Amino acid sequence: MTSDAVPGTREPFDPTDVTWTPVSSRLVGARLTVTAIVLGPVLVLLVLLAVLVGEVWLWVFPAVVALLIGWIAWLVPRQVRALAYAERADDLLVRRGIMFRSLVVVPYGRMQYVDVNAGPLARKFGIASVQLHTASPATSASIDGLPPHEAARLRDRMASRGEARLAGL
Amino acid sequence: MTSTPSTPSTPDVETTSDEDVTGWRRMHPVTPALKGWKVLVAVLAIGWFQVGENIEQAIDLLHGPAFLALLGGILLIGLIGFGYSAVAWRVTRFAVTDEAVHLRTGILFRQQRQARLDRLQAVDVVQPLLARLVGLAELKLEVAGGSGSAVSLAFLREADAEALRAELLALAAGLQRPGAVPVPVPVEGSRPDAAVAPVPFEVAPERQVYELPMGRLVSATLRSGAVPVMLLVVAGAITLAIVSRDISAAFVLLAPLFAGVTFVWSRINQGANFRAAISPDGIRLRHGLTESRAQTVPPGRVQAIRLRQGPLWRGPDWWRVEINVAGYGQGDQQQRDTVLHPVATRGEAMTALWLVLPDLGVQDPAALVEAALTGMDDDGGFTAAPRRARWVDPVGWRRHGVRVTERALVTRSGRIWRSVDVVPHERTQSLGLEQGPIQRRFGLASFVLHSTPGPVAPRVNHLDAGVAAALLDEQSERARTARASATPEQWMRAVGAPTPDVPDPVPTTAPPQDLPSPVPTVSSPDSATTGPAGGTAGRAPEQPGPTPPPAVGAGA
Repeated sequence: MTSDAVPGTREPFDPTDVTWTPVSSRLVGARLTVTAIVLGPVLVLLVLLAVLVGEVWLWVFPAVVALLIGWIAWLVPRQVRALAYAERADDLLVRRGIMFRSLVVVPYGRMQYVDVNAGPLARKFGIASVQLHTASPATSASIDGLPPHEAARLRDRMASRGEARLAGL
Repeated sequence: MTSTPSTPSTPDVETTSDEDVTGWRRMHPVTPALKGWKVLVAVLAIGWFQVGENIEQAIDLLHGPAFLALLGGILLIGLIGFGYSAVAWRVTRFAVTDEAVHLRTGILFRQQRQARLDRLQAVDVVQPLLARLVGLAELKLEVAGGSGSAVSLAFLREADAEALRAELLALAAGLQRPGAVPVPVPVEGSRPDAAVAPVPFEVAPERQVYELPMGRLVSATLRSGAVPVMLLVVAGAITLAIVSRDISAAFVLLAPLFAGVTFVWSRINQGANFRAAISPDGIRLRHGLTESRAQTVPPGRVQAIRLRQGPLWRGPDWWRVEINVAGYGQGDQQQRDTVLHPVATRGEAMTALWLVLPDLGVQDPAALVEAALTGMDDDGGFTAAPRRARWVDPVGWRRHGVRVTERALVTRSGRIWRSVDVVPHERTQSLGLEQGPIQRRFGLASFVLHSTPGPVAPRVNHLDAGVAAALLDEQSERARTARASATPEQWMRAVGAPTPDVPDPVPTTAPPQDLPSPVPTVSSPDSATTGPAGGTAGRAPEQPGPTPPPAVGAGA
C-alpha cells in the first residue's frame, strides 16, 4: 500500500516486510447507517422546524447538519480504507487513521484476552469486531469490520499464539 | 501460623481442591468495632454536608425533643453499623494454601475469591490510625486484575499480618513450606489442628536503602506546583475583597484554597516517615503519618519507573520517583501507592532506579542517568528529536529523546517539568506510533510505549518519522527476546538456579546472602562502573542468542 508521505523518507506507517489486510468495505455501510440513524432524524426535525416557522435564518441549522453528514460520508470510506491489520510471526499490527495516524504493535505473548463483538447492525452487515486486550489499557488494538469467519479465525489464532508465547506481565 | 484456625470442624489433611480448603481462619474479633465506625462517620459526614448550608436553622432545631431524636438516630445508625460489621465478620473467612489465598465474604451476596499466589503483584500491610492504636493491621494482596481485584484481609493482629505476609511472599516466590515434611499422625487426645499448624516462615532480612527526612518533605511539598497556585488564590481573594469592598466575596475562593490545603496535607501525610528497604522479597516501602503502610513489591513486579522534577525543585535537585505496578489501581490509591520516593536527591533517585533495575545495561549508568535527567539534544547517546521539531514544540523540543540500552528503554522529556521514564524491555506491553497532521507535514512521529495502568506512560514525541519507525521495529524485537529470558513469576526459582559464569558480587556494604538484587551498579555515582556482567546475578541466564545491537542511541 502506498500513500503520499513526506518525500524522501521511509513511510513509517508502512513497514516494508508487512502485508496489510484491509478490513471489509461493508464497514463503510455500517458506519454510515449509524450516522444516518443518529443524524437523519435530527435533520428531518430541523427541516420541519424551519418549514413550519418560516424564518429564513432557521435554515442555518439543517444546513450545518447536512454539511456534517456530507463530511462524514466523505470521511468514513477513507477511514475504513486506512484501517488495516497484519499478522506477523510474533505480533499483530493494527494501523488506522489518515489525518491522525496510529500504528499499534501487540505481541501475542502480551495478550490477556480477545473480544469478538457484533451488534445487531454489524450482524446485519455481516461484520464483527475483534479487540485485543493487554495488561495496558492504552493498547488500543481493536479491528472493526471483519467478516465473522475471519473474526473467529483471528480470535482462535490470537488465543493459540498467545498461549504458545505466554508471558506473565 | 501463630493464630490457630478457628473453624470448628476438624481439618482434614489431604484435601486441596477448591471446595474444601482447610485451615479457614477468621479476622480478629475487634474487626467489627473498627469497621463499624466507618458507617457512623459516613452518615455523620453526609449529615454534615446536608446541614452545612443552613447551619443556623439546624442549631435552632436542636433545642428540645429534636435533639434527643437526633441523638437516638445517630445511636441507631451506629448500632446498625456495628451490627452489620459483626455479622460480616462472622461470615468472613480466609485460608492460605500453597497456590492461592481464598477469601469468603458477604452476608446476602456471598463471594468467594481465590487469588493465585504466582500472580501476586504486591503485598501491603496497612494500619489506619484506629487500627494502629489497638495493634491491628490490614493485609492487602494485589493481583493484576483491574480495580477492585485486591484481596483485603482486615483486620489481623499486627504480628499475624507480618507473619502472613512473609508466608505469602515466600510461597509466591516458590519456596517450600519449612514444615513440608510428612505430617505426623495426630496423637489421640491432642488438639487436631496442632498437628497441621505450619511452621512459620522466616521474615526475609532487609536492608534500608534510603529514608526521607521530614524537613525535606515539608519544604519540597511547599515548593510543589500546588502551593504557588494556592498563593495566587489567596492573593485573588484579598484583591476581590478589596475591590468589591465586601469581605464575603473572598469566600468564593475558599473551596480552591481548601483543595490546595488538602493536597499539601495528603502529600505530607503519605510521604511522612518514608523509608525504602531491599530484601529478597523485593522492595519494601514504609510510609504514612496517620495511616501507616508497609508495601512489598516483589522483584520484577515494577513495570515502569518515572522521575519527575518541577521547576521549583530544580534548585535543590529533587526528584519524585513513581512506579507502575500492575495491581495498584487508578485514582486515589494510585497516588498513594505508586510512589517509590516522594522527594529524592539525585543520589537517592539513582538508588531508587537501581532498586527497580539493578542493571541498566550500559557501561556507565551514572552518566546515562545524568544525561536523561538534565541532558538535551543527543547528550549521553540519546536519540533526540530533529531540529525541525521546534515548529511543533518550540519550548521542549530539545528534551524529547530516547535511549535504548541492553536492558531498558529510557525516555526523556520536558524542559520546565522534567520527566524521565525507564521501562525494562521485558515489561513492554505493546508499542505504538502516532502522527498528527502537523507532525506529518514535518516528517515527525511520536513513539508510544504502553505499560500497565499507573503514573508512568512513556512516550517520545516528535522523533524523526523514520527513526521512530525503526525504533518501533527494533523495540518489539528486543522486548520479545527480553521476555523469553525474563525472571519467572516465582522469583526464587531463578535464584536457586545455578548461575556458574556469574562471579559472586562483592559489594562494600554486604547485603544479606540471598538478596535477589545484586551489586548496586548505579547506587552511587562514584562507584558505578561494575559493568553489566555483575548485574545479572540472581536473574535468569542471559538469552541464548546475541541481542541485536541497538541501532538507536547505543552510543556508549
